[in-house]
Amino acid sequence: MNPGTVNRRFPLVWLALHRRRRMLLSLLFGMVVFETLIVVIAGTVPTGDLFGQRRTPPGAFKAFSGSNGDISIASYPGLLGAGLTHPFWIALQLTVIGSLGAAAVAADVESGTIELLMTRPVSRRRLLAERAGALVAATVLLNAAATLTLALGVASSAQLRAAVPLTAVLTAGLLGCALAFCLTGPVLAVSAVSRRRSHVIGAAVAFGAVGFALNFVALAWSPARPLRYLSPFHYYAPGDVLGHGGVPWLAFAVLLGVGLLGLAAAFWLLERRDLAV
Amino acid sequence: MPGTPDPAVAVESRGTGGGPVIELRALTKRYGDTVGIERLDVTVEAGEVFGLLGPNGAGKTTTLRCLVGLLGPTYGQVRVLGLDPLADHARLAPSIGYLPGELRLYPELTGQQTLDLLAALQGAPVPRQRELCERLALSRADLARPVGEYSRGMKQKLGLVQSLQHRPPVVVLDEPSEGLDPLVQETFYELLAEETAAGRTVLLSSHVLPEVQRTCGRVAIVRHGRLVTVRTVAELRQARARRVRLLLDDGHGARPLGAAERWSPRWDGPRVELLVPPDEVVAAVRDLLAEHPVADLTVEEAGLDEAFLDLYRSVSAEEHPNGNSLPEPEERP
Repeated sequence: MNPGTVNRRFPLVWLALHRRRRMLLSLLFGMVVFETLIVVIAGTVPTGDLFGQRRTPPGAFKAFSGSNGDISIASYPGLLGAGLTHPFWIALQLTVIGSLGAAAVAADVESGTIELLMTRPVSRRRLLAERAGALVAATVLLNAAATLTLALGVASSAQLRAAVPLTAVLTAGLLGCALAFCLTGPVLAVSAVSRRRSHVIGAAVAFGAVGFALNFVALAWSPARPLRYLSPFHYYAPGDVLGHGGVPWLAFAVLLGVGLLGLAAAFWLLERRDLAV
Repeated sequence: MPGTPDPAVAVESRGTGGGPVIELRALTKRYGDTVGIERLDVTVEAGEVFGLLGPNGAGKTTTLRCLVGLLGPTYGQVRVLGLDPLADHARLAPSIGYLPGELRLYPELTGQQTLDLLAALQGAPVPRQRELCERLALSRADLARPVGEYSRGMKQKLGLVQSLQHRPPVVVLDEPSEGLDPLVQETFYELLAEETAAGRTVLLSSHVLPEVQRTCGRVAIVRHGRLVTVRTVAELRQARARRVRLLLDDGHGARPLGAAERWSPRWDGPRVELLVPPDEVVAAVRDLLAEHPVADLTVEEAGLDEAFLDLYRSVSAEEHPNGNSLPEPEERP
């Protein structure tokens, strides 16, 4: 045995992160660059100029500022909130969730590598727990990168610091982690039951994109307003957190609750399936 | 030490209470309407090298996957060392070494990382890793390369190392010599012999009859998901038909061959081929030479498919002496 090549305590976590380390580094870099751009734009372009003088952006644009209330995208909290709700931010999150979610079970079943892993004294619970751990670690890292970049930007700009408290940035970052966990649970459930990685990636994209679209439609069209409760993005409102401060406990509870339900379903489904095709 | 009884094996075998190490009772696995394996009854005793022989799609891999807990039986019972591979997975898995038929590895990992990962998951020391790598000609330089750059044979060698490196009392190998060059095959056969000498139990599947004949004591033949027969290798060798090929040079082509017609002659111009039971070959050749203008003659062991058919017919005849044929098992799509 050559010590040091493999983490012996959590080998499945190590495997998941080691195989995708280049992708994760690229996504982290992309996230830092994107958030830096948001901070630079927020700090240099007057918010009133974003949509022209005396014009207010449509209400549905609140979906892009991460607000269900009165936080316009043409404000500092709204603009910074956009940095945590922008489709680019969502795409990065879904890439991590889809990729590592697929790798949890389905990709190993599809490629046949599951045969080597699961003929060891490794329970199915341990397989999923370690893989879920790797996925949570990756999403926390990605959200931490976004949050820290925003926090540094806010801390270094007097006008941003005056409009947005630093604690609110950190709360918004934690809410981002909760949203990622909300999507992670159901994606892991799909991975636990599927034998194709494309199904899992498709599910991740569907949960994210459909969820965002649902929230956007509910904000834009009043008859569809009740539908907003079905979207995770209704509960994920970093713009409101940045604008008003405080901790949205209910939103945290809903996002984490859905994630936990998905995770429980994943464990249940994995115990009851064949692991080879 | 290779070739000496392993005390750990005796400890493991006590779990079976002196009974069979592997026991399949009416094992049935269906995938929807498709039959993987149907009512398979097999027992393997401690220290035995047992072969599971059959053509592709016969159900060998399904059987082995049920044995190692990757698949749950639709019906029937599987016991390995007295334990259920699914319900008692955590207790049983440390005692099993498994080589999948289609060995899939992580292409980004090096050979050494692959072995270390699987050892870490095994959670047990791997006293034979270095020895096995040396004997199977996997150098340090080879192990430092990503598995994605390996040839088929090198991957198979890595698969053999991971299946044996922790000295498991029960070894399950699915098509183990696939892709190995003849020299490494010899080493593999030596390793199998040492496993047996150490009292370990080996179950291997193959579609290569000579390999099974060389390595196994007993063989179960499966076809279309059903057990055709369980025989010792000696019985199998006795039962295997010979392919007799004749070239008749009188230019008349196909013709009645008299008593030899019972061996289902197949004509191709002046050439004819017969499948003759081994104990009748000498008499058959003598009669054919006496009665026909034979210009050339060859006798060889029949191919595996023909051996299966031959065995299948003989089993059918034993079970249905009135001439009713054995119902054809369900075809896999």
